[in-house]
Amino acid sequence: MSKPKVCESYDRRSFKMKNNIVLPGQMVADRPVRLPYCYVEKNKTYASVLSLLSEDGRLVPLCGPYEPMLDDYVVAYVQEVRFSGYNININGAANAYLSGRETAQKLQLGDVIYARINSVDEVKSVELTDARILRGGKLIETDAVKIPRIIGKKNSMIGMISTATGCEIYVGRNGYIWVSEKGNAKLAIETIKMVEAQAHISGLTDRIKAHLDSQKTAPAAN
Amino acid sequence: MAKEKPQLIIDGKRADGRSMEDLRPIKITAHVLNEAQGSALVEWGNNKILAGVYGPRECIPRHDASPYRAVVRCRYTMAPFCSLEEHGRSGPNRRSHELSKVIREAFENVIISEAYPRTQIDIYMEVLQSDGGTRCAAITAAAVALADAGIPMKDLVCAVAVGKIDGQVAVDFSKDEDNYGESDMPIAIAPRNGDVLLFQMDGNLTREELSNALEMAYRACAKVSALQAAALKAVYDGPKPQASLVLGNKQ
Repeated sequence: MSKPKVCESYDRRSFKMKNNIVLPGQMVADRPVRLPYCYVEKNKTYASVLSLLSEDGRLVPLCGPYEPMLDDYVVAYVQEVRFSGYNININGAANAYLSGRETAQKLQLGDVIYARINSVDEVKSVELTDARILRGGKLIETDAVKIPRIIGKKNSMIGMISTATGCEIYVGRNGYIWVSEKGNAKLAIETIKMVEAQAHISGLTDRIKAHLDSQKTAPAAN
Repeated sequence: MAKEKPQLIIDGKRADGRSMEDLRPIKITAHVLNEAQGSALVEWGNNKILAGVYGPRECIPRHDASPYRAVVRCRYTMAPFCSLEEHGRSGPNRRSHELSKVIREAFENVIISEAYPRTQIDIYMEVLQSDGGTRCAAITAAAVALADAGIPMKDLVCAVAVGKIDGQVAVDFSKDEDNYGESDMPIAIAPRNGDVLLFQMDGNLTREELSNALEMAYRACAKVSALQAAALKAVYDGPKPQASLVLGNKQ
């Protein structure tokens, strides 16, 4: 998994997160609270992963593996073709299973698909449904915890990138993103990587907008 | 190895000029490997240790997997070129097997492995250069790498060695102090609640020396822990992708 790298270009003064970063074992509440990415011990709540503490007391993880959830839409690829279905790499701890009945199309090894998670059981076995093949594009890997930031509020971020570059973009909750070849795919991928790297810094939408505008006026590289 | 035992304490100072409670200069850099989920490089005196964390991923062989929790695997190895003496092949040997086991057991106490059933979490620690106290530095590196990977943990483990040289209790031994000292005691603790996660000892200490050494270990671990925290925060904070920190000893 490629990891975020903090770009050198951002303005340091706008960065106010410094004291908000919490580490595993750091107390986040002096009473027992059931929160994601936390654990309770002796009536106190502690963080369990490296994360940002938001103002409402919730934790936003800065890194971490993808945890499959019911009804997540994922971008994934076929890793193994079996007799009655497919083993699909969803960037999780284990492969997901897509039954042949769940898809009208016949898949081949390496096909990139966009699918919905149909079930997750107690040992985190994942089954997919509603799969469709994505053809003629590029698959890029990002950190799954950065996906909400890449999508933006009501698709604002990804919509902006999509319209500015003319690319069709499918974002999976699992951290895989598919970008169509038509349009300026190079710029789209570069911008997504930039969002990923700066996901924890505020004022991101404006910076990305400025970046896209500056690239639009410059002649396209290819 | 020199045959004669060198003088380890000269005029109340140790051979490298440190006082009894001083650590060697420590530099921790989190997030150094691109392909690993989490990684860290610890330069602790002349030690250089690279730790990488992979997973949670599919457990292989399958029959080792537990339906209740992730299996934690550790591999501590010394590179063949890591020290003055010939180490020969770098593969697993009796010593590295033991260290891998005790380090694994230390981390099994803090990793919330129930979150990832049927998977494994691999921790690789590679000693690139050694100068005494590599297991403590390896644990320190592995803890940062685990946090960098986003693996849920109850605490950020840190470790330091204490012991006795020339009749005096001191912390963080270099190779000579380790080889010619009277006693060496590596300790890993969970700084949040002070749990001892690893405790080994070579040589002998009296009761008073032991309690004294333990107190020194806790104080030293607090310093190491602060460096670990700063290294992790610096990944998301500094203008550079990676952060480096040097512990300023009073020298």
